Amino acid sequence: MNSLKAQRGGWQTALLVAGGFAILVPAQMALDRRLAAYRQTPEMLWMPSRKVLRTLSLGHNGLLADIYWTRAVQYFGRQRILRRREYPLLAPLLEITVTLDPQLLVAYRFGGVFLAAPPPLGAGQPEKAIDLLRRGIQANPDQWRLWHDLGFIYYWELQDYPAASAAYLEGSKHPRAAPWMQVMAAVILQKGGDRATSRFLWTEIFQSTEDETIRDNARMHLDTLRALDDIEELERRAAAFRDRTGRWPQSFQEMTAAGLLEGLPADPQGHPYQLQPDGQITLHPSSEVKLDYGPSPEAR
Amino acid sequence: MLSQMMFSQTLAIVLNTFREAVRDRVLYNLIAFALILIASALLFGEISIGIQKTILLNVGLSSISIFGLLIAIFLGIGLVYKEMDKRSLYALLSKPIRRSQFIIGKFLGLNFTLLVNTALMSVGLWVALFYLMRRFEPQDQYLWVAIYFILLQLSLITGLCLFFSCFATPVLSAIFTFVAYVVGNFSADLRVFGELTQNGTLKGLSTALYYLLPNFSDFNVSAWVSHGNPVEGSVILLNTLYALCYNSVLVAAAVWIFSRKDLK
Repeated sequence: MNSLKAQRGGWQTALLVAGGFAILVPAQMALDRRLAAYRQTPEMLWMPSRKVLRTLSLGHNGLLADIYWTRAVQYFGRQRILRRREYPLLAPLLEITVTLDPQLLVAYRFGGVFLAAPPPLGAGQPEKAIDLLRRGIQANPDQWRLWHDLGFIYYWELQDYPAASAAYLEGSKHPRAAPWMQVMAAVILQKGGDRATSRFLWTEIFQSTEDETIRDNARMHLDTLRALDDIEELERRAAAFRDRTGRWPQSFQEMTAAGLLEGLPADPQGHPYQLQPDGQITLHPSSEVKLDYGPSPEAR
Repeated sequence: MLSQMMFSQTLAIVLNTFREAVRDRVLYNLIAFALILIASALLFGEISIGIQKTILLNVGLSSISIFGLLIAIFLGIGLVYKEMDKRSLYALLSKPIRRSQFIIGKFLGLNFTLLVNTALMSVGLWVALFYLMRRFEPQDQYLWVAIYFILLQLSLITGLCLFFSCFATPVLSAIFTFVAYVVGNFSADLRVFGELTQNGTLKGLSTALYYLLPNFSDFNVSAWVSHGNPVEGSVILLNTLYALCYNSVLVAAAVWIFSRKDLK
């Protein structure tokens, strides 16, 4: 008798729960539709003052810095996905992050790359990136790589080779700095933005970072440099073909048959290069390798 | 002989305070919640990039600190009041026990409870750290310094709670302690404010408050050690000395107030 009652009670509860959700779910969906307009609030910082935020953290500034760093990364990712060309909140978010935790190196390095990079790759604010990195150097004097990041902004984004050289030279004075820092200081001053120097510096960034976004960015630039090298070399060989035959080659197969190529040349993403009737080399339409940016015309 | 008897009596109060605290369900809820939060830090780390370990350590240390603070306040405010409310204090004081022994025993008992709780939460943090990294690194040892400083902070909270609970109701004691905790975190700003002002009285007042209030920001090294940075031995020694002295003052003041309290 009792078990029958309990069983009935169980069924009634289950029915109530199911019935409740049957109403709750469509009600929530209706609310979502009606409240969509109210929820479209503009991106905001929550707390614009860095110093106030640090004081209000009540000693949990490390935790709060992590939250702001996560916000900065998510904000950057979202703006990129939405293909927006502006990142107005990136600099303030990173500044708040490093005020809360001045030892959060990843924020300086990330900011150094993506604040300085031109849109749509970054915020196009190299001066803010320089300010951020100088703060990082002041708070972390034992981190020589921040000098490398600073020098690289002067070198790549601003093409200010004396300033870049000075930054590398200053960083090279650190007892644990890599020996190539001093070499870079001299090479940049002497050769400016040549492609070999650019390749070395991007390779160094690619190998030293733990941040996947920074690594992808460095890989993309290295792809560009390799494609520029390839195109230059292929155009030189096409010119050699014309010197021999008196006409431009019509296909890579012709160049291979003439002993000028060993196979179908492909860009760093694996897409075959395109040979134009006038001997010019272009990228495959599906290729995502970019050729329209770089430190200086010389490097292209 | 007398001192030995006094020691064993105080020890009995310490252990009794601990036993009473571990019977409280609130304690287990708070510890469980802190451990869940530490475990969830493993997921928070996935959202961000490059700092999974830093996030885990910051969330873990903040959880230990915040939940330790809640435990210290919840248990601390009732230390004296509960005994009076349940009338058990009268039975205790009818025996040859001094009021100072009662206060010191209560203070040490709650500190012992906090030590055990913090140890439990720390084990949770170390397990989560091992799960994330699959190994420990030499610089992870500095985490112990951050945990030790959290314990020192909690002992100051306990001292404050005990002091306030000697003359105020539990609710008021909780409010006073929390306000002291918040203001104690602002004490550096208080001093800067004093230095900036042109008014001599204000400057003197802010400087006096700076030294009078417990300076909780001195114990905040969590963000620093989460990057594997070491903490100087002199800082550890000075913070220990500071907490010992401040707690001695608080307990002495609590004993003084409690000794003059009319318990009829």
